[in-house]
Amino acid sequence: MKNNLDYMESALPKISEEDIYEAMKTISGYLDITPDDFALLYRAAFRHAIERIRTAVQAKDIMTRTVISVGPNTPLAQVASLMGKKHISGIPVTNENDEVLGMISEKDFLRNMGSQTSNFMEVVAACLGKGGWDAISVRKSLAKDIMTTPAITVKGNTPILEISRLFHEKGINRAPVISEENKLIGIVSRADLVKGYTI
Amino acid sequence: MNTLFNYFNKMRGASKSPPGVSGSEILWSWVGAFMGISLVALIHSVCVQNSTGLIMLVGSFGASAVLLYGAPKSPLAQPRNLLGGHIFSALIGVAIYQIFHGQIWLAASIAVATAIAVMHVTKTLHPPGGATALIAVIGGTDIHNLGYLYAFIPIGLGALVMLIVALLVNNIPKNRRYPEFWL
Repeated sequence: MKNNLDYMESALPKISEEDIYEAMKTISGYLDITPDDFALLYRAAFRHAIERIRTAVQAKDIMTRTVISVGPNTPLAQVASLMGKKHISGIPVTNENDEVLGMISEKDFLRNMGSQTSNFMEVVAACLGKGGWDAISVRKSLAKDIMTTPAITVKGNTPILEISRLFHEKGINRAPVISEENKLIGIVSRADLVKGYTI
Repeated sequence: MNTLFNYFNKMRGASKSPPGVSGSEILWSWVGAFMGISLVALIHSVCVQNSTGLIMLVGSFGASAVLLYGAPKSPLAQPRNLLGGHIFSALIGVAIYQIFHGQIWLAASIAVATAIAVMHVTKTLHPPGGATALIAVIGGTDIHNLGYLYAFIPIGLGALVMLIVALLVNNIPKNRRYPEFWL
């Protein structure tokens, strides 16, 4: 996670020797340190603080623990109605051992319902246009047919900064949290992340 | 070639001198040093007048005064460093003199070098300690006759007197305080 650290350090205004010299002038009494040594200390202390903050809040602190999941052979109609009823936009697909096989999101539905770009309005257009809608295949499909696999998962001790970066890089909105034994123990959504930064 | 360039390049220095201090800082440095040294010197006169043969005023106290009253924030000026640095260095100086007194140049250099090493190890680095170790070797018959007593009178006692003065004087101005830490 060196990248995050470098990024955060570069976001900070560069502290100049003159800044330090002027700051030293505001302290009464002889300071037994050169401006250069202070700059070294400052950078080391800053890195230490970043490291401390970076690892302070982890997935297990912000995740939703009661996860709604479906099996690989759950019919999609059932998956859709479950997601609708529970107001969730993504759901993990797990096997009988609680291991995550994949994820189904709204985008996976859209992609299989006449939209190449998983765009909702394209599906609407397909419904309204050319006298019919091609949802037959979806109606008969199972969870395993449209799930995105493998699922992008995080561990309970993954720091939230790392999760944010993962979401951003992979363009995902949620990730199942798995235990050391690969069992599903929770789920972290973008909303959970936002909440996490207020901890 | 590059290594050699870097080696000499380091000699140019990389930073600049810290800012100067205010007038009140200079005044309180003066007052502290005056009080500290005069008290040690007075005790010295009394001792000499009473012909106990004991000495109180040692050159390294002048150096301690710089730190205690001139740079009281410095880690080098803290009580742990003042007392530890002086006493350890004095013991080392006496021991080294007694072993190597046939070769004064060797005794002097080993005493100072070892004093610095021991002060580092014990986290009591106090520059005047180097002078204390050196004086144990080159201080003449009066000092040599004291033996290990040198570490306690004049060194330990003198450092203690200067510490008490530092505590009393350095805490008078509202923007000064002493010590930063004890241990």
